[in-house]
Amino acid sequence: MTIATIDTVSTGVRTGLARGRGGGGPAPKRIVVAYGFWIFILSDIVMFSGLFAAYAVLSGNTAGGPTGAELFNLRNVFIETMCLLFSSYTCGLGALSAERRQPGRFYLFAALTFVLGAAFLFIEASEFAGMVAKGAGPSRSGFLSGFFTLVGTHGVHVTSGLIWLIYLVAQVVVKGLRAAVLRRLLCWSLFWHALDIVWVGVFTLVYLMGDFR
Amino acid sequence: MLGRLTWAAIPFDQPLPLYAMGGVGIVILAVLALVTVKGWWPYLWREWITSVDHKRIGVMYVILGLVTVKGWWPYLWREWITSVDHKRIGVMYVILGLVMLLRGYSDAIMMRTQQAIAVGNAQGYLPPDHYDQIFSAHGSIMIFFVAMPLVIGLMNFAVPLQLGVRDVAFPTLNSVSFWLTATGALLINVSLVIGSFARTGWMGYPPLSELAFSPDEGVDYYLWSLQISGIGTLLTGVNFVTTILKLRAPGMTYMRMPVFCWTALASNLLIVAAFPILTATFVMLLLDRYLGFHFFTNDAGGNQMMYVNLFWAWGHPEVYILILPAFGVFSEVAATFSGKGLFSYRSMVLATLGICILSFMVWLHHFFTMGAGADVNAFFGIMSAIIAVPTGAKVFNWLFTLYRGRIVFKTPVLFLVGFMVTFVIGGLTGVLLAVPPVDFVLHNSAFLVAHFHNVIIGGVVYGALAGYNYWFPKAFGFTLDEWWGKASFWCWLIGFYLAFTPLYVLGLMGMTRRLQHIPDPSWQPLLLVAEAGAIVIFCGILCQIAQLYVSIRTREQRLDLTGDPWNGRTLEWSTSSPPPAYNYAVLPRVETIDAFWHKKRSGRAPGVPVGVEPAYENIEMPRNSPAGFITAFFAVVMGFALIWHIWWMAIVGVLAAAVTVLAAGWSDEREHEISAAQIAQMERARLGA
Amino acid sequence: MDGSERVFDDRTPGVEEHEPTASVLSYTAGLALAILATILSFVVSQTHLLWPPGIPVGLIVLAFAQIGVHLVFFLHLGSAPDNTNNILALAFGVLIVFLVITGSIWIIANLNANMMPM
Repeated sequence: MTIATIDTVSTGVRTGLARGRGGGGPAPKRIVVAYGFWIFILSDIVMFSGLFAAYAVLSGNTAGGPTGAELFNLRNVFIETMCLLFSSYTCGLGALSAERRQPGRFYLFAALTFVLGAAFLFIEASEFAGMVAKGAGPSRSGFLSGFFTLVGTHGVHVTSGLIWLIYLVAQVVVKGLRAAVLRRLLCWSLFWHALDIVWVGVFTLVYLMGDFR
Repeated sequence: MLGRLTWAAIPFDQPLPLYAMGGVGIVILAVLALVTVKGWWPYLWREWITSVDHKRIGVMYVILGLVTVKGWWPYLWREWITSVDHKRIGVMYVILGLVMLLRGYSDAIMMRTQQAIAVGNAQGYLPPDHYDQIFSAHGSIMIFFVAMPLVIGLMNFAVPLQLGVRDVAFPTLNSVSFWLTATGALLINVSLVIGSFARTGWMGYPPLSELAFSPDEGVDYYLWSLQISGIGTLLTGVNFVTTILKLRAPGMTYMRMPVFCWTALASNLLIVAAFPILTATFVMLLLDRYLGFHFFTNDAGGNQMMYVNLFWAWGHPEVYILILPAFGVFSEVAATFSGKGLFSYRSMVLATLGICILSFMVWLHHFFTMGAGADVNAFFGIMSAIIAVPTGAKVFNWLFTLYRGRIVFKTPVLFLVGFMVTFVIGGLTGVLLAVPPVDFVLHNSAFLVAHFHNVIIGGVVYGALAGYNYWFPKAFGFTLDEWWGKASFWCWLIGFYLAFTPLYVLGLMGMTRRLQHIPDPSWQPLLLVAEAGAIVIFCGILCQIAQLYVSIRTREQRLDLTGDPWNGRTLEWSTSSPPPAYNYAVLPRVETIDAFWHKKRSGRAPGVPVGVEPAYENIEMPRNSPAGFITAFFAVVMGFALIWHIWWMAIVGVLAAAVTVLAAGWSDEREHEISAAQIAQMERARLGA
Repeated sequence: MDGSERVFDDRTPGVEEHEPTASVLSYTAGLALAILATILSFVVSQTHLLWPPGIPVGLIVLAFAQIGVHLVFFLHLGSAPDNTNNILALAFGVLIVFLVITGSIWIIANLNANMMPM
């Protein structure tokens, strides 16, 4: 394990030193940023798990008010789910286009993702508004507080994601698909896929189980 | 216009907060008057205010209170407030922690005094309403604004240096984290003079903390202050997990990292995993209070027990977040000051990771008495007993490290020995409390109070003070005065035992916690002993202040010219004191554990032939950024506005903070380059000296 | 922190370059599988395809399956040589989520059973 040049560490020549055991030196910026964001996503998932736990515990506390089975419209939930799922798909295709430096296709997929995400939000907002109008708002019961907070927090994340998407598309327009912008798009798509993962949990545990009960 | 904020919020009718404000003001005026009368202004201007000498600069900002003098602000802004250098941020965290220790400690002395005198017919001097705010503030401040900043500050300062890299993974985010923590500290301090604080205890249990029973701003101060600083802490967790796992010097495999970095990793993993739970819990309580939700209310289907459950699901990992870095400090101190490598590095690592995982499986022991059945209580009781095992393994490892070592009894080593004795006792009482039937007698008694102060003071505080003494020369270029350091240690040790042993006894005699008035006169002698202990600890704090003052005044006699005052083992001691901004001109190549020790023993840096100057390359370092400070400023605006229901101001604050983040996130030029020639010049000057 | 982009064994979820599995095919396959899992979930919950007391288990299994599809096909988890850190982080996160949710449900159910009805 001799060293070829004097202290080549800053240029990162691999010397076979402790591969796989973490001895390769500082990772490149793209990896560092993506891993850091992955850790942040996991922390966000833990936060959601706190909200899930609260929902699970309170789901039976309807305080004489409406239950999930009475309120949930599964057809809308299915449409929402498909919207979000397809938006994850277009997000992935957009990421590929960005990596391959194809701005035109990237804009197309970004727009599709935005539209699908906005459609999801529109349906969800109407659902919330409908429930509030029926007197089944979040201050009606513990169950409804849990529902609105869990699903609403997810919706707030989706909204932030869409605002962030616009902001990043603006960066692409102004600065092009350079490395720093690509790193941020990478973080964004991690975020967006994670939101879809959380939604799988939401529609399963809140809507499907709640309706079945 | 101003929500529910009125002039009535200023506590003109409550003497103590006003005296506190007045006292601080008088001290500042007195200092300025003294300087004027003695004619020190020209000297100050010439030798200090306009100095660019690293050592002078490092010294000056320890005395935070003098910052109001004009002319210092541009320097402060440039070198500290907008700094993204982990070393500077670490120092600022420690300063924050030590300053808040003064407030947290004044709360403690006030409570001890009240309990010592309010016996039988005597009413003491603190009305219940005030006393309740004091114990709530004491706990909140000590945990969130003393212990956490001290521990995070030490990690900030030491971890990148120990890993052999130039900074953390996300330096600007690091600055944001610090300033958000400072925001929380500021809000909690504002609660002293504008409005009141929570009266619920530091845990904020509903339904007492709900609107129905705490309609005023106190609980909101508590919630927003902790929520905002919690975000900062979470970002620190993300930062350090990424740094430790992805940014290490070449050749530094996981099993060659210093043990402090392992404990920092475990602690930050816990931060990432636990703080989101607190965030969610506070969100739920805030929704209850602001929008009438029913998570934890008494009516409409709320479940108060869920708050307790979720709070402690965060709360137990939190105490391990605090103690693990202290364990790491002690591992470093034990090895360095006994001149031997740490005994059984491998089992230390395993024990650390074991504690990390197990800390998530014990949280119910904080509420055994809430009514869960025997099976639930038994499970968590057994897990709580099990978690003592890895800690025990660590204690043995420290003992065996010291055994047959050539021990140098500097201040950090005294704290180590004090810790080993004190923390073991605290841990034993913890295992005792882990047995549910015992806990049914002792829950929320003075015994519990004694237990957790035992482990927090004996563990976290001693660890923080040991780390402070240990790394101070690296940060500032001169060691702290030993005599005052030892004096402060003895005061802290004797004071602790005097203050808390009586509480163990009182707990067993039936005294509960948080008593504003003592019903049983037979408790008074013990409470007087406890008061004496509190005064002795206060002397310890005074000794620390004296230590700092004397050390600065006589620093020329204790300059750390080699960068290695303790004959250290880990990489940070291979840099100058203080290190250059870029830490290492050439990233060290690591081949063993205790890489610096190995280098000293073999006479050369690994990979570098002797006598040859390394090939310097250009180094990219992150630029300073005001983003952290400005975001935190608007977070203060937002937090204060939300507390006082000034909705327009809250919206302004949130939007401004968001705009700041977006603006900061736009630029790509985050780094500036230091040329190889400049590096070579600085290194030659450093090594030639 | 060196700023130089060099070949590195490490991978992170979502990183597209050097990623043999990042392709239109993988995303499309992921989409198809996820749609399938979603439809199955709705069917399971709304019909008597499964024995009713087993429906919650079925839903949870399908949810995990779909999450797995997302992780593998959209986030490319597990498809690179030195992936250990990513998997470990995920495992840690999953453990915490499991402990918080099941722990809370178990504890609160136990408490609710033992405490006075509100």
